[in-house]
Amino acid sequence: MLSLKQISKYYQAGGSKTYVLNRIDLDVDKGEFISIMGPSGSGKSTLLNIIGMLDEPSEGYHYLLGEAVHQLKEKQRSALYKQNIGFVFQAYHLIDELTVYENIETPLIYQNVKSSERKALVADILDRFNIVGKKDLFPSQLSGGQQQLVGVARALIGKPKLLLADEPTGNLNSKQGEEIMELFSKLNKEDGVTIIQVTHSEKNAQYGSRIIELLDGKIASSTLI
Amino acid sequence: MLKNYIKTAWRNLWKGRIFNAMNVVGLSVAIACCTLLFLTVHYEFSYDRFHTNLKDIYQVYSVSHRPQGDDASTSMPVPFLPALKAEYPEVKYVSRSANSGVVVRYANKELDLDAHYVDEDFLKMFTFPLAKGNSSNVLSGLNNVVLTEEAAKSIFGNQEPIGKTILLKIEDKPASFMVTGVAKSIPSNSGILFDMLIRFENNSIYKDNINQWDNWTHLVFVQMKEDFDPSTFTRRMQPFTKKHFTRSIEALKSDGAKPDADGNVFSLHLAPFANNHFSVNMGGTEGSPVSKIYVISLLIVGCFILIIACINFINLSIARAFTRSREVGVRKTLGAGKWQLLTQFWIETVMVCLGATMLGVLLAGLTMPTFKAIFRSHITIGMLLQPAQLSGCIMLFALITVIAGFYPALIMIRYKTVSVLKGNMVAAKPGKLRNSLLVVQFSLSTLLTICTIITWQQIHYLQSKPLGYNKMEVLSIPTGYNEVGSNVLQIMRNKLGNDPAVLSVSGAYNNMGRGTDGSMRTSIQGFNYKGHEIRTHIERVDYDYLQTMDIKLLEGRDFSRTYSGDTTAIVINEAMAAKLGGKNLVGSFLPMNDDKKPAQIIGIVKNYNFRSLHEEIEPLTLTMNPEYSINYVYVKVKPASLVQTFDRIQKSWHAEFTNTEFRGSWLNENTERQYQGEKRLSGIFVSGAIIAIIISCIGLLAISIMIVMQRNKEIGIRKVLGASVTRIVFMLSGDFVKLVLLAAFIAFPVAWWLMDRWLQGFAYRIHLQWWVFAAAALLAMLVAFITISFQAIKAAVANPVKSLRSE
Ligand SMILES: Nc1ncnc2c1ncn2[C@@H]1O[C@H](COP(=O)(O)OP(=O)(O)OP(=O)(O)O)[C@@H](O)[C@H]1O
Ligand SMILES: [Mg+2]
Repeated sequence: MLSLKQISKYYQAGGSKTYVLNRIDLDVDKGEFISIMGPSGSGKSTLLNIIGMLDEPSEGYHYLLGEAVHQLKEKQRSALYKQNIGFVFQAYHLIDELTVYENIETPLIYQNVKSSERKALVADILDRFNIVGKKDLFPSQLSGGQQQLVGVARALIGKPKLLLADEPTGNLNSKQGEEIMELFSKLNKEDGVTIIQVTHSEKNAQYGSRIIELLDGKIASSTLI
Repeated sequence: MLKNYIKTAWRNLWKGRIFNAMNVVGLSVAIACCTLLFLTVHYEFSYDRFHTNLKDIYQVYSVSHRPQGDDASTSMPVPFLPALKAEYPEVKYVSRSANSGVVVRYANKELDLDAHYVDEDFLKMFTFPLAKGNSSNVLSGLNNVVLTEEAAKSIFGNQEPIGKTILLKIEDKPASFMVTGVAKSIPSNSGILFDMLIRFENNSIYKDNINQWDNWTHLVFVQMKEDFDPSTFTRRMQPFTKKHFTRSIEALKSDGAKPDADGNVFSLHLAPFANNHFSVNMGGTEGSPVSKIYVISLLIVGCFILIIACINFINLSIARAFTRSREVGVRKTLGAGKWQLLTQFWIETVMVCLGATMLGVLLAGLTMPTFKAIFRSHITIGMLLQPAQLSGCIMLFALITVIAGFYPALIMIRYKTVSVLKGNMVAAKPGKLRNSLLVVQFSLSTLLTICTIITWQQIHYLQSKPLGYNKMEVLSIPTGYNEVGSNVLQIMRNKLGNDPAVLSVSGAYNNMGRGTDGSMRTSIQGFNYKGHEIRTHIERVDYDYLQTMDIKLLEGRDFSRTYSGDTTAIVINEAMAAKLGGKNLVGSFLPMNDDKKPAQIIGIVKNYNFRSLHEEIEPLTLTMNPEYSINYVYVKVKPASLVQTFDRIQKSWHAEFTNTEFRGSWLNENTERQYQGEKRLSGIFVSGAIIAIIISCIGLLAISIMIVMQRNKEIGIRKVLGASVTRIVFMLSGDFVKLVLLAAFIAFPVAWWLMDRWLQGFAYRIHLQWWVFAAAALLAMLVAFITISFQAIKAAVANPVKSLRSE
């Protein structure tokens, strides 16, 4: 479903190029659950952002669901993103001015889903995540774990085929982290969502089906579990 | 989708409510000002537009190319119109027009009304629709009269006016007239205003001047045929001019007139009637024209305020948008498209703008009565709903919201989602654009401040300059048109002679300054003296004139009852004496009137400003020639009890002249009235400057709040490291004060140029002083510094631990 060929990312620093990612080749099949690991600054977030089209590579070819992303126009890319990708962040990134319900609903609005349909979908996911009682609260009124739960719910509301998560448990305690990981694993198994997560936790990495080690912008190892 | 946008917009606006409130207040004040100013401008430009034939209507005027410059005059001789009609086939309609007050008598009622003496074509040419009667024949009879609805109502009440006979007293002789038509109310934006129309032939000047080509007495309007080219008129009229105006042309030639490019010393021209409301320099038009400079100043000040407010709005929107860069980034990761984000920001801006507009219009409505009183405006809020204004408002509204809403959103969207989410955005400041906008804002404010100070200085100078006569204790009373002026003077002399508070009484042809009757007369005579052309203002005075006015006599004597021949004697001013040249002028004779006895100079007076200070003191000749009427009675009273004496004089006036209103006024009031235009202009600048500065400061305040918010942590760290409060305040305000100073330097040359141009219009004027500019710059800097310090001090004295911990 996803294929990176010779992807590089570099920054111009005083005449010389500093490579953050160096000729990366990566293929991900549908239904995989991949954990990306590596030391700080090794380019994990950069790689994830490129996969999720939030960032552009300096060089290389990028195929997603059969589309050549590097050739797409802004508009087509945006459409591809909207329909297929959900993002979860370490810092949750909920919109402070919106309630839980509205935060979850927002992606559907951007996908031009009808109001009645939106209602049903949001109610459904609130129910599934057990946060119906919190739906009218604002993010500031939730704990970190609850906020990340909302973040995940929001990422999933559009039924994405690919879920990208950058240290989703980084700001949570281990129990909250475990819950999120359980959720990911369930999503992967039951709903067939392809998941790529960045994590520093060896334990969390074990929830996945494959672990990729990144070192100095290169894939050092790729281990199936 | 829209509901969602509005909901989030509202929450966002509420979250930044202090900020947004300032934004709304600034913008609404500006909208209120602009509403008032632009409506006024529109109204002034709407003058006379209701005439359907407007583009073909012209006023005839003549230009005499005198040695000292061209002299334009709109006055025409009586036989001009019939001759023009007979000899110039392009003329479709033509009408003379003279106006004066007449006394109307009907049943037991007597009323003063304003009569226009016109020709039959008048109503065919101008669009004054009739409520009753037929415009093609209402003026066909010499004794027909057309009244306006208001005049008819005040004469006849609810009776049917058509067919009624009224008695009109024109110059003392009553005559019967029959009402044949009633004109609908005249719109207030009409230059031509009248209570009644009667045929020109009834005017007292008509019979005496029927063949006089050199007695200029009235205005002439023409309507040309559709395909007429006005640029050919002057040239085509040359034979006509040569044929009929021979005497005037000869007189001009003997005065040493300079021929123009076509070799003419005298020529006839057409002024489009469409420009009537702005022809202040034509000397004799219908209505009271206003200077285009005044109207354009209103427009410019309005634009300045609008620009300043828009800059504020944009600056504040940008500043606020940057606090929301993370939100934009998040929304992008949720799949928001460019247009969806732009729409969201735009809706927020529209909401703020809408709020400000409603508040602004409300404010305009509330302040309108005061505004109308100060600027003599005739506007109403209802005018906003006319299609032209409404579409203008909507376009302006759309423009502001698009710039202020789209621009910041566009900047936000251009930033990389990744870096925004990483929180790198706060460092990137919207510096350059914001700073340039601030500079523009403060340049305009400083410009208005300088204009304010200089116009104020000039007006103060005009009002306090000694004029060479007593303006504080002399009362000027117009004699009115019901009475013969010299009789009025005689009666007042007798009545006030015993009043111990009255020092002396005299009279004159012309007023000093501008009286409550609003009239201004100019009477200039030219004659040949030792081979030179001498032109002098003529003022008919009466005994005791110099004493009453406290005009200083330099040589010779004043007119006196003890000498019998004083009606042919003259007193001249220094300027006239200089023009004549030579010594021992007193006692010499001047050939002032070709046919009559030469006039003997009996005295020379010190120069005094008998005209407004726009003009230099020109040669003046005082005469007691009874051919000129007395139009004003002057009374000098003791300084001790001005108010009581005024009341006493008014009482005795009313006892004597029951039909004539007492319109006396002190001369200093009259001279001040001469500068009404300037005062209005200065009023505009003052209000404009104050509002511009306030709005600019609101913007600056909001931006300083923004900056302090952004640099809160830095301020905390600096304090922990030992920076003093003053140091921090100067650090925060320093940059802005520098910008304001830069703005001031940009404003200086523009202000200097503008004000220099304006002052050229005065013969007596102040010099531009550097300290005015320095003061304006200092004022702007001070205001800016105080505004920013307000926030900076708050931040600087706050407990640094708090700001650091909250990170
Ligand atoms: N705008 C930029 N300019 C220059 N270098 C950058 C820029 N953005 C990121 N980098 C560099 O790219 C490298 C990779 O960053 P990235 O955020 O991908 O690391 P990471 O593996 O996610 O680290 P962490 O585990 O700490 O999140 C870093 O060394 C960083 O300094
Ligand atoms: Mg990272």
